[in-house]
Amino acid sequence: MRLKRWASVLFVTCYILSLTWGTAAHALKVGLCGNTLSYLVVWDMFCGWQAYDNRTHIVAEDATGNYFEVREPWGAFKPFSNVDRVSYDVSSSLIARHINHVISHTSHPDIDRVYVVQEIWPKQFNVPAHLWSYNFHEPMEKVSYFHLTAICTAKGSSIESYPDWFNRQTLLTISDNPRLQQASREATPYYNTFFNPAANNIQNRFQATSDSHGLNTN
Amino acid sequence: MKSMETKSPGLFSSIREFFFAEQAPYGIALVRMFLPAVALVPMIRRFGRVRELFSTDGASVQIFELFGQGTPLPVLPPSFAVALYGIMIFALICGVLGFRTRLAFLIGAPLYTYFNLLDAVSTMTKYSVIAAHILLILAVSECHLVWSIDAVLKRWKDGREASAIPPLVPVWPARLIQILFCFIYFGAAITKIQSHAFFSGEQLRYWMLSNWNYANPVGEIMATSTPLLLISGYITVVWEISFPFLAWRPTGRYFTLGIGVLFHFMTWISLGLWIFPLICISCYLAFLMERDIVAIRRFMHRMRLPSSLLGFPRFAIARAIEMRPAAVSVSMVWLALATLVAVGSAEADYRFDLYGIRANDGMMPLKKLDREVALAMINNSRPLREKDKFFSFDIGSMLVGGQLANRKAEYGYEETIIAQCNINPPHEDLWVECAIEDSDARILDSWGQFVTRDSLWANFTYQTGSKMAPGDYWMILKSSGKEISRRPFRLTGDLGSLPPVAPLLTN
Repeated sequence: MRLKRWASVLFVTCYILSLTWGTAAHALKVGLCGNTLSYLVVWDMFCGWQAYDNRTHIVAEDATGNYFEVREPWGAFKPFSNVDRVSYDVSSSLIARHINHVISHTSHPDIDRVYVVQEIWPKQFNVPAHLWSYNFHEPMEKVSYFHLTAICTAKGSSIESYPDWFNRQTLLTISDNPRLQQASREATPYYNTFFNPAANNIQNRFQATSDSHGLNTN
Repeated sequence: MKSMETKSPGLFSSIREFFFAEQAPYGIALVRMFLPAVALVPMIRRFGRVRELFSTDGASVQIFELFGQGTPLPVLPPSFAVALYGIMIFALICGVLGFRTRLAFLIGAPLYTYFNLLDAVSTMTKYSVIAAHILLILAVSECHLVWSIDAVLKRWKDGREASAIPPLVPVWPARLIQILFCFIYFGAAITKIQSHAFFSGEQLRYWMLSNWNYANPVGEIMATSTPLLLISGYITVVWEISFPFLAWRPTGRYFTLGIGVLFHFMTWISLGLWIFPLICISCYLAFLMERDIVAIRRFMHRMRLPSSLLGFPRFAIARAIEMRPAAVSVSMVWLALATLVAVGSAEADYRFDLYGIRANDGMMPLKKLDREVALAMINNSRPLREKDKFFSFDIGSMLVGGQLANRKAEYGYEETIIAQCNINPPHEDLWVECAIEDSDARILDSWGQFVTRDSLWANFTYQTGSKMAPGDYWMILKSSGKEISRRPFRLTGDLGSLPPVAPLLTN
């Protein structure tokens, strides 16, 4: 009975300490990077939403220039609503496996290239028609923007990858500044090939341990 | 004469009393019945997809990969994965009914966590983390002592020695669930405080307009009312922070739990969340102490509600279990049923033929895509339309938290017209102009301002003053010289009723 009580005390203490660590780490933003266990004790249920909605489309191209939709013919799994599972892959961890999975479980000609495309549109176009006419007082002219994020092999291995639309847009907003562009051009990386302290140290060490005068590169 | 000393309990004894006071485990038993039932809903939905989401024949993504820690969990062949998945569902159902409860949770909780960790993209969410915590606590608690098949079987076994008084056990499992929710809400408040644009309503608006969860028609209406979003945001954060301080107060807990139920109800109708609110509200049952259950029972008795019917399923199942041969223990019945479920699940997966290979005598073909459509998607580098950088443009006369609180289309003299544009981030630094045009398309006034990339809205204030005559006008929003949107308004009133304008001094 006493042992059971001590086990309970130990369990309660460890549990509360782990919750405390999670909350403190989350508040101070420390110790969370690369730590999967933090996901189990950090409560960040509202970490921000984008102003634009997006969906992922995957297009395969065969050797004769035919295009195919890389989408499960048995029906895509929609985990929470009417959105395909692959669109929830915000970190692009699934995409390669998804391509390989769909292509290896379907019949098709030999695939040369697979294109991963983001479809983007402003979220105000998600409101239903009656709310749109009440709030926006103008015709609903929704335009989708398509943005190529990667080119892969049929097995999902990446051949080329590009920043996603959100990152690209953010980069464009910053780079759209002549002063910054000028500063960036002036700050071209420069490597001194005549003086290298690390190489000098190596030479000194070599000289110190060698009978000769060290390396002569003349 | 003896003097009476009133000693206040020390900190240590208060903590001991808080965690180890003995009560009948009604609250935790209610959590046992409701939480796994809710947690099972999304898991049962995924039963037909186990092969695809959780096996070597599918595309699983472990949550460890999102944190750059590789794939430490073993991914099983489809038949084994489906069999284990079936056992998990069976174990959690047994947990709900209280049939070999501890064994059920000791098997069900790790399997539930394992399958969630295995699919970080579409199964693992914060509600599954909360459920995993609770299942772990249930596994080490005495939640089976009341309202369970185990309790019924024990009472029948004890016969006349069985006591009518419910067993008393330490309350710490219920306390841990209560404390867990204090941390959850406190952490959620910290997140909101750290989130840019939460208190100006933009974040909530964009969430409500997302179609990533289930349908949320109320949220779509709320998203267009900024003051409502501002007020909701502040109330939420204040409630979340105050939760730990009120949850154990005699009156405060009714208030804070009541707001909690309302808050989660609102997340359902405004954000389209279904499982998350149900998980949280089922955990609130841990706040019910013995005296609360006694009060509820008295109330039900007074209202003549047939509460005895609630026990019918567990008594019926207990009777069926008691029909087993005497040499077979209850645990053996449990294990036999679990084995049956595992085999049945594997067979169901085989017959279901997810990829349609047997049904179609081979693999199903990929759908061909029209060349024009494909090329339009691949080679499209269309720049963002100027008007798509803007969320909305409205005119009104009142600001709340810097945001437009009302919309108007008719102004009197001496009223202030406030035009506001909301801008979708990310956007570059913009030059935004507002112009007033009369019914003959003559521009009366035009003024502009820089809207830097960190701004989410811009306001233009205009005093009607004595500049305009009564009539119909347009307020026009322009960005980079292009018209984005226009709103009509009417100026009414008598020009002569205005006070005389002071003479202009030019020296």
